[in-house]
Amino acid sequence: MAVYWVIFGCFLVEVLFYAVFFKISRLSALLQRVICFNGAPRGMQLLFTLYALTIALGSGFLGALLGLGGGVIMVPLMVFLLGVPIHMASGASIVAVVATSSAAASVYVRDEVTNMRLGMFLELATTLGALTGASFMAMAAESLLKTVFGLSLIYASTVMWYQLRNNRRSWVNKPNDWLAERLSIGGSYYDEARGEQISYGVTRTMGTFGISYVAGIVSGLLGIGGGGIKVPAMNVVSSVPMKVAVATSNFMIGVTAAASALVYIRHGFCDGFVTAPVVLGTLVGSYIGARVTGRLRGMFLKRVFVAVLLLLGLRMIASGVGL
Amino acid sequence: MDSVRFLELMVSRLLRTGVLVSGLFMVMGLGLLWATGDASCPSGVLSVDWVLFGDPFLEPSHVLFLGFFILIGTPLLRIVASATAHLVERDLVFALLNVSVLLILVVSFVLGVG
Repeated sequence: MAVYWVIFGCFLVEVLFYAVFFKISRLSALLQRVICFNGAPRGMQLLFTLYALTIALGSGFLGALLGLGGGVIMVPLMVFLLGVPIHMASGASIVAVVATSSAAASVYVRDEVTNMRLGMFLELATTLGALTGASFMAMAAESLLKTVFGLSLIYASTVMWYQLRNNRRSWVNKPNDWLAERLSIGGSYYDEARGEQISYGVTRTMGTFGISYVAGIVSGLLGIGGGGIKVPAMNVVSSVPMKVAVATSNFMIGVTAAASALVYIRHGFCDGFVTAPVVLGTLVGSYIGARVTGRLRGMFLKRVFVAVLLLLGLRMIASGVGL
Repeated sequence: MDSVRFLELMVSRLLRTGVLVSGLFMVMGLGLLWATGDASCPSGVLSVDWVLFGDPFLEPSHVLFLGFFILIGTPLLRIVASATAHLVERDLVFALLNVSVLLILVVSFVLGVG
C-alpha cells in the first residue's frame, strides 16, 4: 500500500513541477517550433498515421524478437517508406525508446535481474553523453546523420553476426575492482536456466563508464537506445553476466532517452502526428514480441536480419552521401 | 519487506504506471484529433499552461503533448524516488549520484543547452 502512496506522491510532484517550472521560465516559446503536418488534407493525415502505426508495430515486434531496440529498424523505414526527415524520425523514435525501455525495465526490476546500483552509476555517463549527442544532432545536416545512422546499422549487423557465430561464450566471474568495491556495485541474481543464485563482481568500472558516455552520444545523436554498445561493454569489459547487462542497460536507457527527448522536443523534432502513432505502435509491437519470443527460435530470423540490417545500412549511407 | 525490495517494487510500479497513463493520453489525443478533424497544432505558442490547463476538448493536441511529457517525466520521477530512498537509507553517495543526474537534466533544459 505504501508503494502506491509513494507513486501517487511522485506523480503529484511531477504535475506541480511542470506547472511551476514552465510558468517561471517561460519555456513555452521554445516549444513553439513544434510542427504538425498542418497543410495536408484530413484523409492524408489519417493514412499517414495508419502507416506510421503499422511500421512502428512491425519494428517494435521485430526489435523484441531480435533483441534490438525498435528504433534501429523503425527510423530507416520511416525515412525510406514515408519520406519523414531523419531528424523527425529520430525524434519520434527517442520518445518511443523511453516508452519501451520503461515498460521492459518495470519487469526486469521486479524480477531482480537489474543491477540498479550499477545502472545509477553509469547513468551519469549516458545522460551527459545523450545531451552531447542531441546537441550535435540539432546542428548536424541530414546527410551526416544518415551516414552515421548507416554506420550504426552496419555495426548492429556485425554484432548480430558475431553473436550467431559464438553462441555460447563462457562467462567467468571476476572480483570487484576498487571503485566497484567502494560503491558496492557487485550483485547477484537468480538464473532460471541454471536454477541457482549467481553472484558476480564488476571489474574495470571506469572503462565501462567511458564507453557508456559514447553510447549516450550515439543515442542522443540518432534517437536510438544504444544498448548495442552498453551491453557488450558491461559483459565483456566489466564481466557482468549477459542477462544482468541487458536488464541494466535497459534500466539506464529510460533516463538517457528522456534527456535526449527533451532536446528533440525543444528543437521541434517531435511532431505530434509522427510521434504518437510511433510510440503507441512500438509499445504494443514490442509487448507482443516479448510474449512470443519465448516460444520462437529466432535463429533463422537473426540470419535474415544480419543481411537486412546490412542492406538498410548501406542504403542509408548511400542516401546520406547523395548516391 | 527490506528497503532494497521496496525500492525495486516502487520503481517497477512507477515505470509501469507512467507508461500506461501516458499511453492513455496519447490514444485519447489521437482519437480526438481524428474525431474532430482538428489537425491544427497551435500555430502560436505551445506552453505548458496550454498543455496542462487548456481545454483538452477544444484542442486535442494538448492531450497528445501531455502524454509525451508524462512519458518523459516517468524515468525522471524514478530518479526522484530513488534519490529519496537513498537519502532515507543514508546512502549519501548514491543519493548524490541521483541528484546530480537530475540536476544535469533540469539545468540543461532550463538553460536551453543542446
